[in-house]
Amino acid sequence: MKNSASRSIIALSSTALALPGIALADAPPTQSTISYKLSNYQEDDLSRAEAPFGELERYDIDVHQFQLVSPLGRNMSLHVDANYESLSGASPWFTSLGLDGEPIVNLSGPSGISDRRTELSIGSRYYLQNGSFAANIGYSQENDYQSVYFGLNAEKHYNNDLTTVSAGLSYSSDEIFPTDAALFNRVIDEDKQSTSVFVSVSQIINQVSSFQSAFSLTEQSGFLSDPYKLRDVRPDDKTQIAWSNSYRRFFVAADAALHVNYRYYHDDFGISSHTSDLSWHQNLGRTFQLVPQLRYYSQSAADFFTNVDDFLNPTSEYQSSDYRLSAFGAVSGGFSLIADMGSWKATLTAERYLANDKYSAFDVSQPSTALVKYNRVSLGIDFQF
Amino acid sequence: MRALRTTLLLSICSLMLISCADVRAWERGYLAREEMAWDPDALESSLNDHIFFSKEASSGGNSAAGGGCGCN
Repeated sequence: MKNSASRSIIALSSTALALPGIALADAPPTQSTISYKLSNYQEDDLSRAEAPFGELERYDIDVHQFQLVSPLGRNMSLHVDANYESLSGASPWFTSLGLDGEPIVNLSGPSGISDRRTELSIGSRYYLQNGSFAANIGYSQENDYQSVYFGLNAEKHYNNDLTTVSAGLSYSSDEIFPTDAALFNRVIDEDKQSTSVFVSVSQIINQVSSFQSAFSLTEQSGFLSDPYKLRDVRPDDKTQIAWSNSYRRFFVAADAALHVNYRYYHDDFGISSHTSDLSWHQNLGRTFQLVPQLRYYSQSAADFFTNVDDFLNPTSEYQSSDYRLSAFGAVSGGFSLIADMGSWKATLTAERYLANDKYSAFDVSQPSTALVKYNRVSLGIDFQF
Repeated sequence: MRALRTTLLLSICSLMLISCADVRAWERGYLAREEMAWDPDALESSLNDHIFFSKEASSGGNSAAGGGCGCN
């Protein structure tokens, strides 16, 4: 977990619990599919105005994802996910006031950070006539972090399979053991737990469109601060809610599908956010598909966010200069080009992400100095057999 | 901001109130197409969630959270 790096597991581990499409009632796969995706994303360097001293180069991250989905007998499927991620670079260590009185950020040490993460998740789904049950377990290991988790999910179809109700829960137990703890007076060994539940309803509207609404509640407890920041003190429990809505529509004349998603999020750190994204899945003949996509995100600041660390504050007071707890907005856009050649499918994706306090839909009383910009490129291969 | 939120909520509620047609199984060809799935590319969406989770404060929505991490 060295520093506040991008090594999240939640998203990857939820793959096995991802909701299937509701267009048709569930059925176990008839063929096996093995998938691999290689991605690289590189954060833009900071400017000297933002970080007058030390390193400017931020994270450069490679991600390898593997997935196997296979039939298991007549009524079951097997899901295996494996991920490997490596990163190098530097991340914000603390903030202070510059000579001009504006906040500046100081990045971690001159040699930067190098870390690896590996994860394995195994799950299975059992299919009934009008629904299915699924379960998965997973384990993730880093130099200074490990997580063990499991998830359960059930769904049932109603109304001639026009309506699907799905519910699930997950639990994870994590351990944090920062490197160089004695040298930098960091915590030695801490833990945290996370419990999450969700429920969703999907509805077919007509022959070309469908809608889904979902609600999730997550409770975290334990050590929720960033041990690699010079001063970062957060509450030891957090409650998060998220309400997601998705709409799909197929345009027959254009031979294309429109995806619209919106999510509202709130937690008791005081952060609220809006996320909306659009994508257009344009078929080009029988082999190719082009998918342009656009996403807008904005969040408010945590109650205890500060853009200049105050080291005179007692350590019992909540305080964090983590840019991810600031108020900001982010715009990202990109495209995917998909070539479907029967048993083989290849997907090339490129994306640009820009975060800026000026894009925020919320009030920004303390703009952060270390908001991220990055480029991502991915190449994925799927093979059915 | 309040107006934007109200508009979004009203739009979503309106969509939910749309009367739904009785679409028979054999009339679901377009709905069954891969590009109409909630999640057409599981690896792509999980990667996106993975990256956004590490850059932003928000997470969750349409699935249980799964495993934890220390990066956010």
